[in-house]
Amino acid sequence: MTIQRDYSRIRVLAVLLGLLVLILADHFNSATFALNSGQGGVATSYSQLDSGACAPCGAPCPSED
Amino acid sequence: MATTQTTLNTGLPPQSETDEARRIDGFVVSTALTSLALLAGLIGLEAPIDRVWLLFVGVGLGIALYHAAFGFTAGWRNLVLKRRSGGMRAQMLLLAIATVLFVPVLGFAETLGLTGISGTLAPVGVSLLVGSSLFGFGMQLGGGCGSGTLFTVGAGNLRMMVTLTTFIIGSVIGTMHLPWWLAQPGIDPVDLIAGVGVMPTLVLQLGALGLLAMWFARIERQHHGEVERAILQRPVGPWYTTLLKGGWPLLWGAIALALLNLATLLIAGYPWGITFAFGLWGAKVLQALGVDMAQWAFWTWDYPALALADSVLVNVVSVMDFGLLLGAMLAAGLAGRFNRASRRPLPARSITAAVIGGLSMGYGARLGFGCNIGAMFSGIASASLHGWIWFACAFAGSLAGIRLRPWFGLDQ
Repeated sequence: MTIQRDYSRIRVLAVLLGLLVLILADHFNSATFALNSGQGGVATSYSQLDSGACAPCGAPCPSED
Repeated sequence: MATTQTTLNTGLPPQSETDEARRIDGFVVSTALTSLALLAGLIGLEAPIDRVWLLFVGVGLGIALYHAAFGFTAGWRNLVLKRRSGGMRAQMLLLAIATVLFVPVLGFAETLGLTGISGTLAPVGVSLLVGSSLFGFGMQLGGGCGSGTLFTVGAGNLRMMVTLTTFIIGSVIGTMHLPWWLAQPGIDPVDLIAGVGVMPTLVLQLGALGLLAMWFARIERQHHGEVERAILQRPVGPWYTTLLKGGWPLLWGAIALALLNLATLLIAGYPWGITFAFGLWGAKVLQALGVDMAQWAFWTWDYPALALADSVLVNVVSVMDFGLLLGAMLAAGLAGRFNRASRRPLPARSITAAVIGGLSMGYGARLGFGCNIGAMFSGIASASLHGWIWFACAFAGSLAGIRLRPWFGLDQ
């Protein structure tokens, strides 16, 4: 007995492949990839000193006063 | 429970659907697992192992959200229109569990030897008030909040892909304007734990959540004469089948979400968030198209600037969002319902509502420092005043959105 599918397998794979390509393109142009490729003096998310925003929600840090 | 499920755009069918239709979809499950393995491998190759764990935490969150049909939007709407409070009481339970888990950990972090962790704290001001109201308005037209949009997209809902796309566009516009909004009147974050201590914070928050839950139940009892057993409802089938194929009681969902948010705090150093990644993805696209993002003050702040320069594979929020999408896809495959919600044609008015809703949520999320997850769930769990204010304003905005739904042919 076959299941009636609500989607196209090819489209699902194409979308996922497209996303993978975008992620890889972004990654190959990133600071982390540059550091891992031997480039020195690169600031990555792991060497971050976060003074401009205090959380990933984008909220700024409390004022100094 | 059934009412909540069918209105969440999750593609979940009425309970009368036969077991045949709920057969595990091998293609979707294997595709989700293969994608997950590939992504985990890539992250493991390039980044420290904590990002891989966070990917899997995201997967767990996606499964829990989908299998429990744990959405905020329909819960708010059901209270307003149908005077049914199950969804709202489940959300209060979620916040109560998270409060019990988070407040002692954050309050005694140094004593517990937990260095480098902090709660979600954000300022209270015009930006928060406007942003959260806009978000609440948008979530009713968009058809889901931040997490709702993401997990329904993972489950293959085409309409919600429109909402997500415009959510991203709205987020980027929000990052452009946020510095101006932050220049308007406001005060620094208010941290209840630092202000009054751990125990008083626990008592205050649990008391407030309990009172709200009782109030919601009272509203339901006044209109229906009884209160539905929505939270403690037993699974329809054996527990192990339900665990795998879905139909989780809301209690299971609340426990899973609270525990996984705690895991996020302990691994990442800060609680679960969703929408920062949307702005980041949009900014990366603009940057790739040649736009100089350094012209926008937001993208010169240290955290956003580094996130923009770095890979999405090391950005905590992005990694967890990817995990959530794949987790929801996996869950939909296990339930045999992938893309089920897209069976019906998409009327132009419904797409228009998705566009308006997505833009409002995106812009509102940046001004309000997050969505139901980053601002409300994680904010209240962290005992930050901004989380409570976000909740109140978003609910008020949601009332306007609910009133507009019929104009766009959306069900009530």
